[in-house]
Amino acid sequence: MPMYKVKPVSPADIKIDLPTRMYKSPNIHAQGMNCGQHALQNGEVDPALKALEERQDEVLRRLYEIKATVDGLAKTVTTPDADLDASTLSRGPAESVFRGTADLDSLLGKDLGALRDIVINASPACPPLCLLVLHALLCQRYQVLSSVHVHSSVSAVPPPLLSCLGPRHIDSYARQRFQLGFTLIWKDVSELQMKFNTQSMCPIEGEANVARFLFRLLGGEPQDPVAATQMDCWIDTAVFQLSEGGSKERAAVLRSLNAALGRSEWLLGQEFSLADIVCACCVLRAGQTTSAPVNVQRWLKSCQNLGHFDCVYPLLQ
Amino acid sequence: MTKENVQGAGEEEQQAQSKKALKKQQKEAEKAAKKAEKQAKLAAEQQEADEDDFAKDRYGICPMVQSQQKLDRALVRVQDLTPEKAEQQIWVRARIHTSRAKGKQCFLVLRHQQFTVQALLAVGDRASKQMVKFAANLTKESIIDVEAVVKKVEQKIESCSQQDVELHVERIFVISQSEARLPLQLEDAVRPEGEGDEEGRATVNQDTRLDNRVIDLRTTTSQAIFRLQSGVCQLFRDTLINKGFVEIQTPKIISAASEGGANVFTVSYFKTSAYLAQSPQLYKQMCICADFDKVFCVGPVFRAEDSNTHRHLTEFVGLDIEMAFNYHYHEVIDSITDTMVQIFKGLRDRLQTEIQTVNKQYPSEPFKFLEPTLRLEYKEAVAMLKAAGVEMGDEEDLSTPNEKLLGRLVKEKYDTDFYVLDKYPLAVRPFYTMPDPNNPKYSNSYDMFMRGEEILSGAQRIHDAQLLTERAMHHSIDLEKIKAYIDSFRYGAPPHAGGGIGLERVTMLYLGLHNVRQTSMFPRDPKRLTP
Repeated sequence: MPMYKVKPVSPADIKIDLPTRMYKSPNIHAQGMNCGQHALQNGEVDPALKALEERQDEVLRRLYEIKATVDGLAKTVTTPDADLDASTLSRGPAESVFRGTADLDSLLGKDLGALRDIVINASPACPPLCLLVLHALLCQRYQVLSSVHVHSSVSAVPPPLLSCLGPRHIDSYARQRFQLGFTLIWKDVSELQMKFNTQSMCPIEGEANVARFLFRLLGGEPQDPVAATQMDCWIDTAVFQLSEGGSKERAAVLRSLNAALGRSEWLLGQEFSLADIVCACCVLRAGQTTSAPVNVQRWLKSCQNLGHFDCVYPLLQ
Repeated sequence: MTKENVQGAGEEEQQAQSKKALKKQQKEAEKAAKKAEKQAKLAAEQQEADEDDFAKDRYGICPMVQSQQKLDRALVRVQDLTPEKAEQQIWVRARIHTSRAKGKQCFLVLRHQQFTVQALLAVGDRASKQMVKFAANLTKESIIDVEAVVKKVEQKIESCSQQDVELHVERIFVISQSEARLPLQLEDAVRPEGEGDEEGRATVNQDTRLDNRVIDLRTTTSQAIFRLQSGVCQLFRDTLINKGFVEIQTPKIISAASEGGANVFTVSYFKTSAYLAQSPQLYKQMCICADFDKVFCVGPVFRAEDSNTHRHLTEFVGLDIEMAFNYHYHEVIDSITDTMVQIFKGLRDRLQTEIQTVNKQYPSEPFKFLEPTLRLEYKEAVAMLKAAGVEMGDEEDLSTPNEKLLGRLVKEKYDTDFYVLDKYPLAVRPFYTMPDPNNPKYSNSYDMFMRGEEILSGAQRIHDAQLLTERAMHHSIDLEKIKAYIDSFRYGAPPHAGGGIGLERVTMLYLGLHNVRQTSMFPRDPKRLTP
């Protein structure tokens, strides 16, 4: 017996004059009532409802499974593995900077069938030495179309700056055959600027930042976060203290470079990285390399032996 | 009517008459009084005038210069009036730009081409009142000879081009008087558009200028524009001559329209008719086949296009280049772009004053370019446009708005107003364009753009008679009409390419002006045939 009863609002047997011209549709209320009443009376559940319940159970079960998996993963990530020695983390097997994978499509956007041209605007008063080194490295890895232009805001540029990207590629008349374009424009700008896709990217300013961008194209960033942070730290030190700092700051940086290079061959350990490129270029640009500490000199010699710095030496006057 | 009435009426009439007469008399009296006043005034003035005009022989209107005598007088140009000449007494011939009388002084601004200088005439022991009055009443634009002493000024005269000096006039003579009513005022013609609207002062619209071109060309802006245009032509010639090119002159009356007959003017030629040349294309190529290797020509080009746009004229000056190359048509592109860059550099370095003068009335961004010139491929342009949201097919021609958008995109990325677009699709180029060897859908053709507008269309030409015939048939061109053209390639023809630019359009785009009629001295378009 139902607990609450509502008095019927309208008597069920009202005669309604239905228009005869319209089509008739079955009376849903009459049917529903019958069905529902039936089910309630029999204690059975409507098959559609049953299917819905089953689906809901299935979905809930899968959700619990996924939650369990994620929890498990979280545990393995957050708690250090008992087998891994934390003290050796910094010298862990970081992936080699030049053998890592880099997908140009994912880094630079989908290839729309046209040359992906990186445009760098630099002032001839301070040539971007580390970018020249990175350009040499990019040429080893990809088909790069390099060109140097002089902007009309600059009246004349010394010849070594015009040939700093090397001789013109023999296939340079067919832009489509190249994967990447590297266009260096000598222009009257206060700070170095890089433009790539003006619709979706804002310009990148500053030699160090452009260097980081280009280094990523080489598949170079260390996967290990500690190493990556150390690399960034060395780059910032080089740019802010070595290049722009006073003589005291420069001496301090040279001393810390000396100390770090006493422990390992390169700044980050066993592998050559962007930190070495930027620091070496800043040291070379500051000049007086003959009076640098011993380890620094040894390290500069090693850089030179790698061959990537050949483009830099002619510009050091 | 009774006698009395008549009498009354008569009396009234008489009274009325006398009233009228009275009024008339009054009026006459007034008139007489006024006349007497005037006469008295004139007499007074005459007295004044006669009153000792001691400067009578130091001013006046010269009789018309019919080469009566050969005076050995050196006239100094306004442009050369600098503080170095201070205290010198010199003669200057210039136009009266403005004249303003203020009591006992008269300020004149004298103008010669783009240069103006202030001249002062004050009543004193050298000049009489009558002389000052004479100077103040001279009409604008009259040409005068002035003998004056150059004086340094402490405060710079901002409104003149010669800011450090002024002239103290001793003698002033009129060589050629101008009519008082000028069809347009030169200050109005030089006023920038915005300023005119803001301050409610007049500016002159283009049609008025073109109708009275002689006066409009006297403005400082026009003088600067056409001197710059002369510079463009001069630099074009000089650069090409230095590269070993030969200047040729091609005929403008031709027998057959080579590039499709729609846009040519017909002229009656004795018993038949002939056409005015649309471009020197045909003859340039013949010169190459005649072993001249590198040729250029400067001459009029006639296009009977009914286009009333800001950048089309029916007659303009074409600067055309054609060059034989060794192995690749990029040799020609490099040559042409280098010529253009030398022209831009020459203008930037040597004609900066003229550029600044034009900028005063028509402000614009300075023209930027790269050396060597940027060269993009058509596919890259399509990709750039697609990335910016334009929907177009890979082999579709660029519409004018797309060209402008592309110009803006290139400017944003490379910061250059001048670039070359290479490898256009074959379908949108004329029949004599050489197809791309690696992709038959594209061609060895290129367009060059300044500030997003096309200035040059060029290509490697087909130098093989067979292929040329095939391509002509493909374009459904009547072979009979171009028989002479095809024949010129039958007897050994070197591979060659070239292109042509319009002098007026290049000047307009370099200066950032907005209508090609501003850079054409006496422009011709579908609606204008004079002056």
